[in-house]
Amino acid sequence: MHRRAVHRRSATYPPVQLTLVVLAASASACQAASAEYFADTDQPRADDASGAALHDTTIELPASLRGVPTGERAPTGAPVVVACGTCHNGEPGALPAQASEVAGPHTGLVVQHGGNTCGSCHDPNRRDRLRLADGQQLELTEAMQLCSQCHGTQRRDYDHGAHGGMAGHWDLARGPRTRNHCIHCHDPHVPAYPRVLPAAPPRDRFFGAGAGHE
Amino acid sequence: MGSRVTRRRALRVLGASLGGSAFAYAVAPVAAFVQATNKEEFLQQHYRELTEAGLADVLRRLEAETARDYGADVSIRDPRPLPDVQFGYALNLSVCIGCRKCAEACHHENNHDRRTNNSYIRVLEMTQGTMDMEQGRADYDHAVPAPGKYYMPVQCQQCENPPCVDVCPVQATWKEDDGVVVVDYNWCIGCRYCEAACPYHARRFNWHKPEIPADEINPDQAYLSNRVRPQGVVEKCHFCLHRTREGRLPACLEACPTGARVFGNLLDPESEIRWVLANKRVFVLKEELGTNPRFFYFFDT
Amino acid sequence: MATPSHRISTIDHRVNYAKFLWRALSASTDGSWGFYAVMTALSVVALVGANAWAQQLVHGLATTNMSDHVSWGLYIANFTFLVGLAAGGVMMVIPAYVYRDQKMHDVTIIGELLAIAAIAMALLFVVVDMGRPDRLWHMIPGLGRFNWPISMLTWDVIVLNGYLLLNLHVVGYIVYQRYLMRRPNPRWYVPFVLLSIAWAISIHTVTAFLYSGLGGRPFWNSALLAPRFLASAFIAGPAAIIITLQLVQRLTSYMVPDGPIRTLLQVVRVTTIINLFMLLSELFTEFYSGGAHTASARYLFVGLHGHAELVPWIWSAVALNGFAILLLVQHNVQSRPLLMNVGLVMTFVGVWIEKGMGLIIPGFIPSTLHEVVTYMPSANEWKVTLGIWAFGGMLYIVAIKVALQAFAGELHRSIPPPRRKS
Repeated sequence: MHRRAVHRRSATYPPVQLTLVVLAASASACQAASAEYFADTDQPRADDASGAALHDTTIELPASLRGVPTGERAPTGAPVVVACGTCHNGEPGALPAQASEVAGPHTGLVVQHGGNTCGSCHDPNRRDRLRLADGQQLELTEAMQLCSQCHGTQRRDYDHGAHGGMAGHWDLARGPRTRNHCIHCHDPHVPAYPRVLPAAPPRDRFFGAGAGHE
Repeated sequence: MGSRVTRRRALRVLGASLGGSAFAYAVAPVAAFVQATNKEEFLQQHYRELTEAGLADVLRRLEAETARDYGADVSIRDPRPLPDVQFGYALNLSVCIGCRKCAEACHHENNHDRRTNNSYIRVLEMTQGTMDMEQGRADYDHAVPAPGKYYMPVQCQQCENPPCVDVCPVQATWKEDDGVVVVDYNWCIGCRYCEAACPYHARRFNWHKPEIPADEINPDQAYLSNRVRPQGVVEKCHFCLHRTREGRLPACLEACPTGARVFGNLLDPESEIRWVLANKRVFVLKEELGTNPRFFYFFDT
Repeated sequence: MATPSHRISTIDHRVNYAKFLWRALSASTDGSWGFYAVMTALSVVALVGANAWAQQLVHGLATTNMSDHVSWGLYIANFTFLVGLAAGGVMMVIPAYVYRDQKMHDVTIIGELLAIAAIAMALLFVVVDMGRPDRLWHMIPGLGRFNWPISMLTWDVIVLNGYLLLNLHVVGYIVYQRYLMRRPNPRWYVPFVLLSIAWAISIHTVTAFLYSGLGGRPFWNSALLAPRFLASAFIAGPAAIIITLQLVQRLTSYMVPDGPIRTLLQVVRVTTIINLFMLLSELFTEFYSGGAHTASARYLFVGLHGHAELVPWIWSAVALNGFAILLLVQHNVQSRPLLMNVGLVMTFVGVWIEKGMGLIIPGFIPSTLHEVVTYMPSANEWKVTLGIWAFGGMLYIVAIKVALQAFAGELHRSIPPPRRKS
């Protein structure tokens, strides 16, 4: 059992790469983070992968990375989006200087993301694409790469299961796992986690009225 | 003289019969209690003394009782601890926003009483700058995270040295091989000594028979975890063993929108929980009590 | 050791003991109209309590005002006090047997009967506090799983039942011998009496350990708890016995000597002062150093976060004990029964508050997560509690009545049941 556990982890590391092919293909902060991990903990990869079939870890892709949500839903329940390429089909030209200049379906866009401007993330030449700091172009679906170039510690924690929601199995030998994408929780334009109303407070006997402190 | 004695005797007989019938009248409600129980339940052995066949009988009986009392068709299993697995849990206080989604998920997953909105998890709203629980409160009801606050969910810490297990007079609660402290709800006598002994407010008592609508009952149940509990016994968090012993994540972790929760096998050096222990500054609650929890807290660094 | 018993040593105890029990039963149901009135009133209260308990059994402990925060309440508070009362009963026995005080010898039976009644009540309070009394058999060694020696509760079960059996044996043996008109053979009871002295200390020590062993409850987690328990036990027990002795004197033909009351009064004088001293020590430690572990003491004595439900209770207890000391230290108090009895009742009630609700409830407030959820007993809890006290009172009265009749030679195997008014 123990041996199997070791194989499981080494075979999937970093878990993201198995399923997000695009990520695996790129030399990026992600791999830098995982290399660092192996150096940190001094855990060699076990190479005698003797076959415990491991299930996948899948990162859920938010609909907004595939286009602009229309507010409608397909019969399957999936949100209907207008693909980016419908409007942005390779048109060149400068990006708007600030969010208030954005027109069309994106009107009303607010940006509160440090000192970033549109060009910090969007490719000025292909508006349906992103651009890394080193100039490399990126599909929208690869957005996590882009986030990670600044938010390295969060990405490190994410890769080690210590940041970001997940569901499924803790033991990948027994079943798959799905994980949230960065932008499930952090709107790239306003990344601060939104305040929410909590679920109902405890209602156990005599707690509540007059209870608590102060 | 003789008539006096006779009258006295008659009075005594009358008094005795009056007293007897008054007593019978006073304790008449007990009949309802006796009717609600049955011989098999009354004579049932301790979980760890049941044979395989005996346990199977008990599980079928409990399923039938749930169908009878709640109108719900459930399946009760008995998943055993996995070999070479010791469960551990860690919680990132920098990321937790206090939304109570974990407590809510626990409520539904574990078939808690609807009337009391019971949950094994209690989320404390703490004031930044202090770890003093006395500054915290659990009944906040405003948008979270509130400015100047951080949030600390507390549930069973699955102590290595659990005081609740020590004090139980009938061994109705014990630590399983994977580190989960469980309760045999059919062996507990309801003395609540464990509730007094627990330093983490992790235990709950069934002050009345749980009320759950049939269509809200989670039918995926286990004997030592989320089956509907009887009245008058103690219950507690069991790390969702009906899920985790099959490799699944606990319900509170899946419900957590921010990923503040990390769960895994402490014996697996490659596990997420081990990475957290090795790379984060973790701490445990009330370390000075020597309970040695398996539930760790940390802040992002 | 030539006793008259040699002459009738061939009697058949199986027949005689059955007859003795029958005679005792008939003696206990026979008495004056005043006796009947008291017993009827107590029966009514006990039956109301039985009914309240039956309701609780069916509807669950939701009929109480206990919660997951304050998970023990009035029942366990009374249990704790009664264990002390039972242990205090032995204060009669120590002077009589250890210091060979002959005058005490004759009245030690009162202390033993008080112990029996108190233990019976204490055990009933544990049973009514249980969520599943139908599973009591899980505690029986062999049949169930008795978590001995790890759980202090199992120790408590052993010492309480052991103490009950010890006292039942001593009292039963002596009364039975009196019934047979034989002099009790010291070999059959003196060792048990001496054992019961040590055992009395143990019941209250173990009960204190029940609480002081819980590291998560700083209010209880104190080495002073067991000594304080004993000090208060040796207030309530002797106080109850002094009052009983006066009632016996007044209501029966039995002549109570002055000596025992004087001795017991001395005991109460000393123990009330020791108890108050220990309280002061505890208060100093809690309040001078301060910090989080004093939250319970603050809740109890001055209130916490605007909650002060127990503050009037505990200060009444302190006041009662303080006034009682002032009354009882008067050196001529024994010749002024009103003064003495007021003092004794005050200190009895003071200890009941202090070792009952005043000890149990603050252990849970604030909770282990430092939440303040308050507690006041429900009507049903009060009914059950009064019912058990009424039952205990009946037990005590009947037991004293039968024992004193045997001592007075009125309950004797050669004499038919008396046809008298009292």
